[in-house]
Amino acid sequence: MCKFINSALIIIITLNPLSSSAHDGEKHVMKGHSKADMLDQCVEPTEMMQKEHFVFLYHQRDETVIDGIRTKQHSLANCIDCHVSYDEIGEPIPVTDDGQFCQACHVKTAVNIDCFTCHATVPRGKPMKSNKSVILEDQVENILISLEETNHE
Amino acid sequence: MNNKDLQLSRRGFLVKSFSAISVVYVIPNLFTHAEAAKPLDQKVSSSTKWAMAVDVDKCVSGCTACVDACIEENGLYGFDRPETDSQWIRKIKIQDIKTDKVTTLPMMCQHCENPPCCDVCPTGASFRRIDGIVMVNQHTCIGCRYCMMACPFKARSFVHENLTEQLTNAPRGKGCVESCNFCANRIDHGSDTTACEEACQKEGHQAISFGDLSDSESRVNKALRKKDHKRLRADLMLKQRVTYTGF
Repeated sequence: MCKFINSALIIIITLNPLSSSAHDGEKHVMKGHSKADMLDQCVEPTEMMQKEHFVFLYHQRDETVIDGIRTKQHSLANCIDCHVSYDEIGEPIPVTDDGQFCQACHVKTAVNIDCFTCHATVPRGKPMKSNKSVILEDQVENILISLEETNHE
Repeated sequence: MNNKDLQLSRRGFLVKSFSAISVVYVIPNLFTHAEAAKPLDQKVSSSTKWAMAVDVDKCVSGCTACVDACIEENGLYGFDRPETDSQWIRKIKIQDIKTDKVTTLPMMCQHCENPPCCDVCPTGASFRRIDGIVMVNQHTCIGCRYCMMACPFKARSFVHENLTEQLTNAPRGKGCVESCNFCANRIDHGSDTTACEEACQKEGHQAISFGDLSDSESRVNKALRKKDHKRLRADLMLKQRVTYTGF
């Protein structure tokens, strides 16, 4: 009897889905292309992101809503901006569509998320820019315009 | 101790009181000027006091520029059901009982310093950010709508239906209460104007002035200096940060 329990325990432990993460070391295969496809690594090491992305997101959401910290490093908006795939005509495919970045793993692990009942699944609306970057971009634009003018002359 | 030691000369009294006043009022102001425009990675601080002043005389009847700008900024599309569709800012019409004078004014969250919505919230989702913005933390809002009942200004809305076309910068969804947040996202990114103020200025009406109360040169302070502003329902002593003048 004891032997049976032992072997049962070993089987349970080795097959326990919680002991390993879905897609460990696996590459995502998705329709379309995203900015993230072209990068070697996410904002943290891939291994860490696969297992702890929700910890970063939980942490960041409170900092953003309560303290007004708007850094991009761990923000959901930034995740989507980078991981959303675009189809042949350049239209973004929602990250919650079948086989897309968020959905693919979450279906496999049977973890239901409700981020996207409120958050946009594709980058939508005017991108938020800090004043400094707006000023910088204006300067760059001005330089480009003046360069073009000199070229025409 | 000798009684003479306690007596102040006129000169001594003036010197001491002026230095006390400068310690309390002047010196902190110098510092707040130095730290305008918060970097993205820093927390908001109580040295910034966002506020809005509305000049009702300049608000034009029939103009909905502020409302439209708010809808566009926050993606507040509705379902063509005015009774339940979300509204963060709305135009209301008031009539003086004695003179029958009709005025219109924009009504939104008044960003009280003593907000009744936060008092009644069972989860702490209604909260007042340290820089004075009253908002809903939709991650913890359970949709009980106590805050909507507590608000004397009818400033909050409840999302009754599934939404699909939210903007990246304005997450919102079914089952949560929402209201004007002084365009917190914009402000955190260094802007000093809200969508409604911007629209009102663009229309040339300049009825809405927004800004930082601790910056003496901000538009809101200039507006407050020009005319006497009052709070709506001042008897409730909620100390709103949105003030009105002209009625």
